[in-house]
This record gives sequence, structure tokens and C-alpha cells, in this order.
Amino acid sequence: MNFINSFQSEWLKKKRSLASWLVVAGAAFTPSIILMSRIKNAGKLSALYASNDFWLKLWNQTWESMAVFLLPFGIILAAGLIAQIEYKNNTWKQLHTTPQGFATIFFAKFLVLLIMLVEVFVLFNVGMYLSAVIPSMLFANLPYPTAPIPYAYFLKANINFFLDCLPILALQYLLSLQFKNFLVPIGTGFAIWFLGVGMLSWNYSYLLPYLHGTIDFLISSGQFGNRKIPPLNLQLLAVIYFVLFTVASYILYVTKKEKG
Amino acid sequence: MHCIETINLTHNFSASEAALKCVNLQVRESTIYGFLGPNGAGKTTTLKLILGLLKKQHGEIFVFGKPFEKHRVETLRHIGSMIESPSIYGQLTAFENLRILQKVYRCPKQRIQEVLELVGLAQTNRKKASQFSLGMKQRLSIAMTLLHNPSLLILDEPTNGLDPNGILEIRELLQSLNQQHGITILISSHLLPEIEKLVTHVGIINRGNLLFQGTLPELISKRQQNSFMIFETNDAARASHIIGEFGLIPRIEAGNIATPILEKEVVAAINQKLVQHDIEVYQISRVESDLEKIFFDVISE
Repeated sequence: MNFINSFQSEWLKKKRSLASWLVVAGAAFTPSIILMSRIKNAGKLSALYASNDFWLKLWNQTWESMAVFLLPFGIILAAGLIAQIEYKNNTWKQLHTTPQGFATIFFAKFLVLLIMLVEVFVLFNVGMYLSAVIPSMLFANLPYPTAPIPYAYFLKANINFFLDCLPILALQYLLSLQFKNFLVPIGTGFAIWFLGVGMLSWNYSYLLPYLHGTIDFLISSGQFGNRKIPPLNLQLLAVIYFVLFTVASYILYVTKKEKG
Repeated sequence: MHCIETINLTHNFSASEAALKCVNLQVRESTIYGFLGPNGAGKTTTLKLILGLLKKQHGEIFVFGKPFEKHRVETLRHIGSMIESPSIYGQLTAFENLRILQKVYRCPKQRIQEVLELVGLAQTNRKKASQFSLGMKQRLSIAMTLLHNPSLLILDEPTNGLDPNGILEIRELLQSLNQQHGITILISSHLLPEIEKLVTHVGIINRGNLLFQGTLPELISKRQQNSFMIFETNDAARASHIIGEFGLIPRIEAGNIATPILEKEVVAAINQKLVQHDIEVYQISRVESDLEKIFFDVISE
């Protein structure tokens, strides 16, 4: 009960904050662009809408930018913004003098971030679906796709991408809690991502936690080329990183000498 | 019983500089304790240690008779605090700010409206806290400290930035909370005149040392000890010798003679004797130390 109340309290804090807008904007970005493109090129899409692999093509088209950079960037920004709600308003001291254990505060805030990530996935999938069906409603030459939606594949791929994101979330949360200056976690996050992309052709690039989504997408879409397939299960590796980063983040948070 | 007690509380921010040196603070239940000291004296450090915002290095902290560290969550349930500047979420309204705390403290939702009315912010409606004046932000912060009906209030310079009318309102509010609800209040300030009309007890800290701790009457009696009389004459040396014949030990300060406070009859007799010895007496006056002077005397001791 204590934890639920703490979570509700944390959830309220993000109302009207940049972090809450980021969820909507991040999830809607790619589907909106695809939708606009389809509306603009509606006359040339009849074959696509009649094809048997319509949904898989749409999936690859929408997830390409999402898996490679939008999700990592969004998580880097969201984690920073959630911590900044406290820094900017000078409220850490208020929060730490409420009758809550440090573990409760830490995990309630972390759960807000996790739920926001779930929100992004849900909104993104809805957006992806709408980007396919809205042109059908608007243009007579684009009937509703006859190809069946591969629900099981989508669900599994969603879960995989979600797990791939967890190490980024945990490490960015750690950085955001430790540094008052917003630029430190954001800059570090972007630096790690750019470093990773530069090292994508390296045989051990799968060890970099910020690249799991990218590698996952490239393998599943058949674009991994001649690179060596990771010998480990990426999602398992992501969960291990996630646990390690979360434990480290919690220890650093609890042992911080000044809490406000 | 002491509501707050610290024993040999010592804190260093760096190896070379002690922010607090063996501070033994004792705040009795149902009192208003004014914690005074100039900026950088150690007031906020002490309050942050009491609230667990700083990791304790040396000494003991007891709140409601229990060691704070072991009973942190249970103890904080009964404390309302405001440290330094107001801590409020600017993108939210006053109501929403209080709703966040109401969830944590699990107090009735109608309590939000009650405290908003108490501090005069009930009509702010949808206005975001970031658009509030500093005075309104301070009042919202005080509302936040009162939401859960605490039995102890810890307020660090709560009247900072308030106009005289605002200061008066806060003073009256705190007095009524103490008198009607028995709430213990620990309030820090660097200005004695600001809180001397409010507090029952005083602690004076400077450079990490607690220099005075006692009731307000005890501090006032220090004022009487520090009061003296001045005799302004044309010959301070001879006049001092004559005054010494009355069994007093006068001292010469800036060409005048200073003595302890004297009875009217003694003053008249001294004056008569000085005139008899052809000493011209220009002025006899009584100099009383005000509390502010005592405060500066204490911190410069």
C-alpha cells in the first residue's frame, strides 16, 4: 500500500512536464511521418496494400528509426527529465523528508519510467496500426489490407525491443540521479550511443547495452549483413545489464551523502 | 521531554573545516525554539542533519526521544519541514502540489482545502505554482508542512522574501499552531528582531558552535547584565576616582565613565559629589542593550 501511494505521488509529478509530452511525441513521430507519406503517395500504394507481407513491411518501416535511435534518445531524455523535475523545483529535500523509505522513493520513481516506456510501446503500436488504416479510410484505391496481422510475431518482437531498452533505462536513471546538471546524463547517454553506432561492425558490439535494439532490428529485418551474429541471447544479456545497473544505481542513491 | 535533542553533533564538509562542533541542541515539547545565527553559522546544516538530509558523521540525534536514524520513516510521519527556499513543483497548481503529499501521508483529501484556506491560497484555482509570488510560494510551502497535522515543525528561514505583512501573518499562524494545537516549532533565522516576538526559547549558533541556549527571559536577563550608565564630564580621570569612592568600579570609555546600572538616589549622590568637586557634568544616561546587540555580543564572544 505504501508503495502504491508513493507511485501515485510520483506519477502526479510528471503532469504537464516535458517528460509526459515526450512519451506522446516520441511514440507518434514515426507513425505520423509514415501516415503523411502514405497520404501524399496514396496513388502509388495499391500494390503494397494488396501484398501478403503488408504488415511485416510496415513493421520494418516503422521500427527502423524507432529501434535504432528514437527509443534510445527518448529514454535518455525521459530519464533525465524525470530526475530534473526534482532538481529544477528544488524538491529533493522535500521528497526525502516525507515518511518513505529510500527504496520506496527509488523504485516508485523508476516504475514511473518503466510505465512511461510501456506507454510509448502501446502508443507506438496503435500509431503504427493507424498509419496503415487511415489511408484505407481516406482513399478508395487502398482497401483495408487483406494480409492477416501477425500478432504473435509483433508481440514477441515488442517484448524483445522492450527488454533491449531496459539497460539504457537503468543506466540513464543512475546518471540522472547522480548529476544535478541535466547535460551530464544526456551528454553521456548520447556519447555512449554514438560510440556504439561507430562500433557496430565490431564482432563484440552486442556487448554495448545501447546497441541491443539496433542489432535486434538489423537481425530480424535481415539487414545484419555479414556481421557475426551475437553468440548470446541479446534479451538475456539486456536483463543482466538491467539488473546490474539497477543495483548499482540503488546503492549509489542510498549512499549519497547529501539528499537535498 | 525534549522533542529534539542532539548530543555532540559534529559535521565536516571538508577535513579542514568543521561546519558543526559538538552541538547539543535541546528543543522542549510544545515550545517555539528560535535557532539564530548569521548566514553560514551552521543552522541549515543542523536542521538537515536532524531531518536526515545529510549523512550523520559524529554525535547523536534524538527526535521524540528516539534515535532518528533507526526510526526515520516513523519519525518523519510526525514532522513538517521546510528547508531553505520553497520546494514546490512549478508546473502544478497549489492543490496538485498538496495532492502529491496527501498521497504519501495518506491523510484525508479534504485536508488539502483546509490548509489552503489556512494559508490564504484557496482561491488560486488553476494557477500554476511557478506563477506564484515568492510570498505565495512560501505560504504554499507552509501549507505543505501542515497538511498531515504534524506535531513538530522545522522551518528554515520561513519568512525569507516576505513583506512585513506576510511576516506578521506567518508569525500569527505559527503562534496559533503552537498555542492551540501544542505543535513544537523549531524555526531558524538570521534576524533576531524577526522572531523575538514569536519564540519561547532561543539557541544562538555561530561558526558551528552553539553559543547560547535557553529561554527568552534568560536571554533578556542577559540584556540587563549588558546595560550600563554613562557619565559625561569635563574630567574623566578625576570623576572616575570620585565615583570609585561609592564602591563602584567605573571604566573610562571614549572619554566618558561607564558604570553598572545604578539606583536613582545613587545617581543623584554621585552627581552632587562631582559638582561639589568642581567637575562639570554634561550628561548622565542609561544605555540598554537591545536583543540584537546581545545577539551580536554572543556571536562575537
